[in-house]
Amino acid sequence: MTATTTDAALHTEGLTTIYGKLRALDGMTLHVPRGSVYGFLGRNGAGKTTTIRLLLGLARPTAGSAYVLGREIGTQQLEILERTAFVPERKVLYDHLTPHELVHFTSGFYPRWSREAVEKYARILDIPMKQKFGKLSHGNRTKVCILLALGQNADLLILDEPTLGLDPVITDNVLRVLLEEQASQGRTVFFSSHQLAEVEQIADWIGILDQGNLLLEARLEDVRSQYRVVVAGGNGLPAATSAQVLSVSRSGAFTRYVVCSGAETFAAGLRQHGAASVEVFPLNLREFFLEIVRKEESCTIGDSGEKPEYASSRS
Amino acid sequence: MILLLKVNPSSGLPLYLQIETQIKHRVAAGTLKAGDALPSVRKLAAELAINYHTVVRAYQELEREGIIRTVQGGGTFVADGVPQLLKGERLRRLVPLAAQLAVEAHHLRVSEKEIVEMVQEEFKKLGGTP
Repeated sequence: MTATTTDAALHTEGLTTIYGKLRALDGMTLHVPRGSVYGFLGRNGAGKTTTIRLLLGLARPTAGSAYVLGREIGTQQLEILERTAFVPERKVLYDHLTPHELVHFTSGFYPRWSREAVEKYARILDIPMKQKFGKLSHGNRTKVCILLALGQNADLLILDEPTLGLDPVITDNVLRVLLEEQASQGRTVFFSSHQLAEVEQIADWIGILDQGNLLLEARLEDVRSQYRVVVAGGNGLPAATSAQVLSVSRSGAFTRYVVCSGAETFAAGLRQHGAASVEVFPLNLREFFLEIVRKEESCTIGDSGEKPEYASSRS
Repeated sequence: MILLLKVNPSSGLPLYLQIETQIKHRVAAGTLKAGDALPSVRKLAAELAINYHTVVRAYQELEREGIIRTVQGGGTFVADGVPQLLKGERLRRLVPLAAQLAVEAHHLRVSEKEIVEMVQEEFKKLGGTP
């Protein structure tokens, strides 16, 4: 075991899972620093839930290794589960119990259970503690699942689509609670989501998974400060110049580049190439995600969905 | 102290930079004065509902530039306003803004002289050149 595997909240190397002919995970390597809020992104079927199942010991990898809080999955699973709380995508608990009873029932399994945390978050999340779980709304069920996770006083929170189907007010409450856990207790929050706006709001790290492989893992603020769209007007501009260019598409007299670093220098280079006008724009996470994931499909759908033939026939 | 800052996570601009810019603007405009206390990192992160580390970064940058200072265990305050950065770096940071101003002025047919006057007017609003 190396320092990287023990220092990280999560660390996987070459993680592979094969279901029949399907490679659900294909040699995935992931690194989640302790104390981070990590947004785990990917399209449906990218392998997010499979990854989470492996980390929790609910499935076994075909190949590769994974460490959770410095402990190896499979061999040290009990130690992992003592310090890791999980909120699954499907919020199913005993329908005939009230949240109050569910808290009492769950607390028996966790020696580190925190009554203070439960009281505090039941209040903040405004959970009806005396109503039967089966009678609760979807939003309240989700909040109960999150409450049971927070009560475990875990070092790592793993959440699969925590805010799916929640209204904006409840979503905001849940996000604030997760941030509070990170800021006050230094916990690591690892969550999968399709809500890119909320990932953008609370995450400091993101990982983008596609077809069982991590396409990108980066600090969100680095993505925000480095990745740019450069739009240049003029003829004879280079199609692709270096590794910093992620994608190039042409539309009439304009060429659009997505660069992952040195946008200003790149823009200056284009001006020297005779570009008539050069503009540099930032990308938000949604645009960025589409660029990254679509690039992988560029052989099938063309350059970022642009239709050069149409554009040139118009000009 | 509540600052009522406004950040937009979806603008594509780094959040720490958005915080930094707004605090700088308030210090320049005099709504935040030397010695004024700023909220703690945790409090500001909770107020804005953003990541703790983002606010840490914003405060670090502001401290590096000499705009705020942190007293060990005693909070964060607006500094006395002696810039820590070298003159060259301070000028370099203004070049993109000057470039943008020149381009816009060119398109709107506003003369160089008028632009200079406009900038002087803005300096006056801040209470003169520091």
